[in-house]
Amino acid sequence: MKLNSLAFRLFVTSAAWTLFVLPLAGFLIYSLYRDDVQASFDGQLRKLVTAINIDSMESGSDKPVAPTNRYEPLFEVTNSGWYWQIKPLDTAKERKLISASLATASLPSPVEEKLKPDEGGARWMNIAGPKGEPLRIVEVVDTLGHEPDKPRYSIIVAGPLDWLDATVANFRNRLSVALTLAGLALVGLTLIQVRFGLLPLRRVERGLAAIRSGDAAQLKGELPLEIEPLKQEINALIQSNQDIVDRARTQVGNLAHALKTPLAVITNEARDDDTRFSKKVAEQATVMRDQVSHYLDRARMAARVNVIGRVTPIRPVVEPLVRALERIHRDRGINIHVSCPEALKFQGEKHDLEEMLGNLMDNACKWAHTKVWLTVTPETSANKKGNLSSDTGRNFVRLTVEDDGNGLTPEQRQKIGKRGLRLDETKPGSGLGMSIVVDLAHSYQGGLELDASRHGGLSAQLRLPTV
Amino acid sequence: MRVLVVEDDNDLNRQLVGALSDAGYAVDSATDGEEGHFLGDTEPYDLVVLDIGLPKMDGISVLEEWRRADRKMPVIILTARDRWSDKVAGMDAGADDYLAKPFHMEELLARIRAQVRRASGHASAELTCGSVQLDTKTSRVTCDGQQIKLTSHEYRLLSYLMHHNERVVSRTELVEHLYDQDFDRDSNTIEVFIGRLRKKIPADIIETVRGLGYRMSSSPDEA
Repeated sequence: MKLNSLAFRLFVTSAAWTLFVLPLAGFLIYSLYRDDVQASFDGQLRKLVTAINIDSMESGSDKPVAPTNRYEPLFEVTNSGWYWQIKPLDTAKERKLISASLATASLPSPVEEKLKPDEGGARWMNIAGPKGEPLRIVEVVDTLGHEPDKPRYSIIVAGPLDWLDATVANFRNRLSVALTLAGLALVGLTLIQVRFGLLPLRRVERGLAAIRSGDAAQLKGELPLEIEPLKQEINALIQSNQDIVDRARTQVGNLAHALKTPLAVITNEARDDDTRFSKKVAEQATVMRDQVSHYLDRARMAARVNVIGRVTPIRPVVEPLVRALERIHRDRGINIHVSCPEALKFQGEKHDLEEMLGNLMDNACKWAHTKVWLTVTPETSANKKGNLSSDTGRNFVRLTVEDDGNGLTPEQRQKIGKRGLRLDETKPGSGLGMSIVVDLAHSYQGGLELDASRHGGLSAQLRLPTV
Repeated sequence: MRVLVVEDDNDLNRQLVGALSDAGYAVDSATDGEEGHFLGDTEPYDLVVLDIGLPKMDGISVLEEWRRADRKMPVIILTARDRWSDKVAGMDAGADDYLAKPFHMEELLARIRAQVRRASGHASAELTCGSVQLDTKTSRVTCDGQQIKLTSHEYRLLSYLMHHNERVVSRTELVEHLYDQDFDRDSNTIEVFIGRLRKKIPADIIETVRGLGYRMSSSPDEA
């Protein structure tokens, strides 16, 4: 999962939320439980203090008596943490009564600490016991027989808090384990949810890759409601992109037509007579013709750059081309031998492949005695030469055009591809063909290499990207 | 030889007609696809120079229509669209050659000569019949090495007969192929020109086949 991805964002927010909510919930549950346990403990203490109060104050004696009922057996065990104490508040002479568990110690009285009673008249306090153990004490103040003018007594019951703390701590530990497990499960679920939820986007990603590699022209398949418009927009964009390129191409063609016919007229008119003026016109018309061709090529090339996902199977381009070339050169009985596997594809425009192959093969036909060969092979590491392109991440296909003519010297091969240069002025042509091939091949990160053919003539190797 | 020029640009059309007439062809011309198609469909041309970008009916459609109707005359396509896809489309539609604008008139004339020659089954630019030689490149006619001066009508007649030598050519065929459509075909000028030709080259090379027409032959006795 990459940092800058939708999946990561969804996962992180979701996980963060889980990690924020779960401890909060845990703390809340823990607090509620603790309060609950405390309340029930307090209830128990209150019952005890009420019972002892009644036992000691309503016995009918003129003094408080120790309760006869034990209520809590631990009142009898020394330092058990469970204690009671009845202490006179108004006279210092009278002895206080204490549980056996308290031995010789005594408990502080909350009323003497000026603590306020609750609505039931009880006062609560947490103190340290005779052993230093934490205790919770509850005190009621009462008189013998509830008579208001009699001396007051403080009746205290104490219970151990460490038991309470232990219970709560135990609960907290179990709660933590449970919540941690729940958290992990939720994070795991989030991961699955994100993967599943983003599955359609993965499909879009794969679809775009297919378009780029040329296996598809459009995004296909059902997509969720939210990204269906995106799919339609992308498809419309691809379509309009193609339309724009096609329109540009048509316009360029129209411009060519519009300019070339008048140029033909001027050229022919100027060649008809022999004045200095018409010579100048003829010369300039030739310059204009070359300029028009040059900039039309440029325009075509500029219109072509970054057209998404055009892929051209090579065989269907080769076959009509061979037919046309054999017809054009039928007077000389040129035979074109083609070896091209069906499956090979060129990653680019059909027109451009036609243009490159057409020029190369037409040249070969012009120079050949009787035979021209076209061999198309996928590039393997064995025949990769590497100096044609620095781009190593793509696959290439090699189109070799050979003829059985006289070939070229290495010096002549060097010069080929220079615009307007013609090696043989007696053969028809503008001298633009090879430079168009070189320019086009470069615009596809490919290249053209010239060599001597084993058949005697020139071997022109065109290297073009494939999928 | 009779040639049809279909080109919508008036200046270029005029230049083509002028250059072809100067080169000894009988030339008809059309400035749109429909007219061009009609002429090519009804008149027996020896060659057509056809522009692709035409009003009313484009050149490719015109050509396809002709080929569908089994019209086999050589067609040279003339167009500004010089991409290979256009050339392939043109050749696939049935064109015999392809010339991109702007072009040199000499190149067009050379290609026309080549197509006419091929259509009549001659490999060389020099046609020979007995002692008479005709150079299609220079339009020079020689007999036993001596140059013979011919008028343009005489040259056209001799050239057609030599392109189709050893074959009987009817008078109608000659009229149809030597004169453009505005020519008055009822006249007996063919006989007049045959008579004049026979005075300039060995008379027996052009043989009259009674009721059928004329035949040019290097060995007339075998007929």
